[in-house]
Amino acid sequence: MTTTAGLPREVMGAMDARLSMPYTLTAGAATGVFLAELAQQRIVGTRCSACETIRVPAQDFCGDCGGDAHDLVIVPPSGDLLAWTVTDQGTVALVLLDGTDIPFLHQVVEGDPAALSMGARVTAVWAAEPQGAVMDLMGFALAPSEPVHAVEEAGETATPIEQLNYQMVLDYQHAYGHFYGSLFDGIKNDRRIRGVRCPSCRNVLVPPRAYCEACFVRTGDWVDVPDTGVLQACSVVHIEFIGQRVPPPYVYAEIVLDGTSTRLIHTVGGLSAEALRSGSVHPGSRVQAVWSDRRTGSLSDIDFFKVIDGPADE
Amino acid sequence: MTQIAIVGTGQTVHSRRRLDVSQAGLAREAVTEALLDAGLGMDDIDAVVVASGPAMFGSVNQPEKWLVDALGARYKPVVRVTSGGGTGLAGALQAMNQIKAGLARRVLVVAYDKLSEGALQASISTLYDPFWGREFAVGIMGFSAAYWRARMDKLGHTEEAAAMVSVKNRKNAMLNPKAHVKKEVTVEEVLASKPLCWPIKLLDVPPISDGACAVILAAEDDAAAITDRPAWIRGMAYYSEADNGPNRSMLQSVPLKVAAARVYQNAGVTNPRRQFDVAELQEPYTCFELSYYEGLGLCPEGGAAELIASGATEMSGDIPVNPSGGCMGANPIGATALIRLAEAAMQVTGKAGAHQIGGAELALVQAGGGWANLRGVAVVGATKD
Repeated sequence: MTTTAGLPREVMGAMDARLSMPYTLTAGAATGVFLAELAQQRIVGTRCSACETIRVPAQDFCGDCGGDAHDLVIVPPSGDLLAWTVTDQGTVALVLLDGTDIPFLHQVVEGDPAALSMGARVTAVWAAEPQGAVMDLMGFALAPSEPVHAVEEAGETATPIEQLNYQMVLDYQHAYGHFYGSLFDGIKNDRRIRGVRCPSCRNVLVPPRAYCEACFVRTGDWVDVPDTGVLQACSVVHIEFIGQRVPPPYVYAEIVLDGTSTRLIHTVGGLSAEALRSGSVHPGSRVQAVWSDRRTGSLSDIDFFKVIDGPADE
Repeated sequence: MTQIAIVGTGQTVHSRRRLDVSQAGLAREAVTEALLDAGLGMDDIDAVVVASGPAMFGSVNQPEKWLVDALGARYKPVVRVTSGGGTGLAGALQAMNQIKAGLARRVLVVAYDKLSEGALQASISTLYDPFWGREFAVGIMGFSAAYWRARMDKLGHTEEAAAMVSVKNRKNAMLNPKAHVKKEVTVEEVLASKPLCWPIKLLDVPPISDGACAVILAAEDDAAAITDRPAWIRGMAYYSEADNGPNRSMLQSVPLKVAAARVYQNAGVTNPRRQFDVAELQEPYTCFELSYYEGLGLCPEGGAAELIASGATEMSGDIPVNPSGGCMGANPIGATALIRLAEAAMQVTGKAGAHQIGGAELALVQAGGGWANLRGVAVVGATKD
């Protein structure tokens, strides 16, 4: 190992990362009826049996008194505009529907936002083709002459919608910072892995970092680390899951690169089905990085680690 | 300083998918049962601790704001605690600290997760450093299997020994009315079950559950007034170590040993195998129960396989572990550690029903989160000391 300066040749700014996750959300009984009834252009609320508070959308529990007993009611599709704000995704609004006690958070969908005023009368705007979701009620529009209507008992209601499909997509930009920037610049451009040495315990830490976790002193010299190491632990992956980068079966590996004291999580590849079955890759096996043609500045620049000959580190 | 007791517990009926309730409704169900058990109403509760897993599990960020309504908790202090599989115990510790500090006398802890709603292993992978580990993570399963494999070589935690944990806990779950999975298995069936992340196989893995648990903690004088059978918390601690710090072999969990030493000292435990009547250990996979036997001093290092094979940890043994069925019966991750604490309290107060260990007076609880780097221990007793 040699000591080198740690300045990246290019500025590693931020890594883009997207998390995209599917969900099946459960609405609960009362909100399930609210969602189902939107297709009939009816707005369902709940009147608490204990404190008489009327909330919309219908809720299983009363936020005022904590009660869980209630009657379902049909709330008029008209009300007063209490507050609003204009965003690049529309005009978000709080509407107090006639006869209810809790403002309904939704949006104003028609007309010039400049014409809105506190206390203005509004009425519901419905989707032409209901989807069984909250946006079947598209929002509210100004209706100056709309009279005040009364809440009615719900009577028979639709079968509740129990489950909703939802996809959450989140985009992040993770800043590399000096230490990760230097590491991944070296990986991308020079196929070089660099760590730092703790001046106190003398351990080499990869990825490099400002402080040693064990001693909590500032780290010292930058150190070049070979792309060979030892499997500290490994398992054979058979399951499939969302976001998986390698088709199973393959070996999940926690690797301690030679001369370092920390773990690198990657895969061991190039193995036959028989080798996977027999568990011939084991803690102590020696491995070496197989570099990819990709230059992404991430651990994906290593395709996988291959098993190499050498004394097992017991 | 005041002593603290558990005066009420409640659990939902755990299942793979609870279509009849929302996330908030699930939490409410456990709270209703705990209040009933304690003979209290929400007016009697000074503060609420909400404990649930990573927000990514259920897509609802800051869910405690939603639970204020569903629990009838408005105008009360409500905070959320999260710490992986140890979440429920971390929540209970936060409640302990509020009572010890004199900020509250009766604190409700409610822990839940509705795992049917999200993509579990993918969500867990987001717990890793996005630059270092996440790309090739296999949730927590790849990691757990890898270190089991290492312990297999160094400590003799064989596939057969882990299979015995599965057999024992699934058998115990048959007696637990709240358990989600009730199916007995044999060692041979576990060994022949589908490999998921070898050596972890399908029957080494707990179910993915929707479920909630609630526990009410009270200061000494309140506890005595509320119930004639309080479960006294004789010690509780939750310790950590650096995730990617130098030289972590992970054959044994250092924070587990630190937490156990601290709690045993507080509780006057010098011979855990002899002194504890029962243990509830949070075993996210069978291999972890073996590891915890050693970390908690129920057997020497490398003695776990022998301990499980001896039958000592079965219902009829001298140190029954997981009479509730443990995670193998149900595993709503955010709630699972609090379920262990609740079950321990039920044991020492004689409320465990069909899975009661006769005469249990001192119970051990363990739970943990993170990559083996967050570990908690608690001791619950029928008497104050």
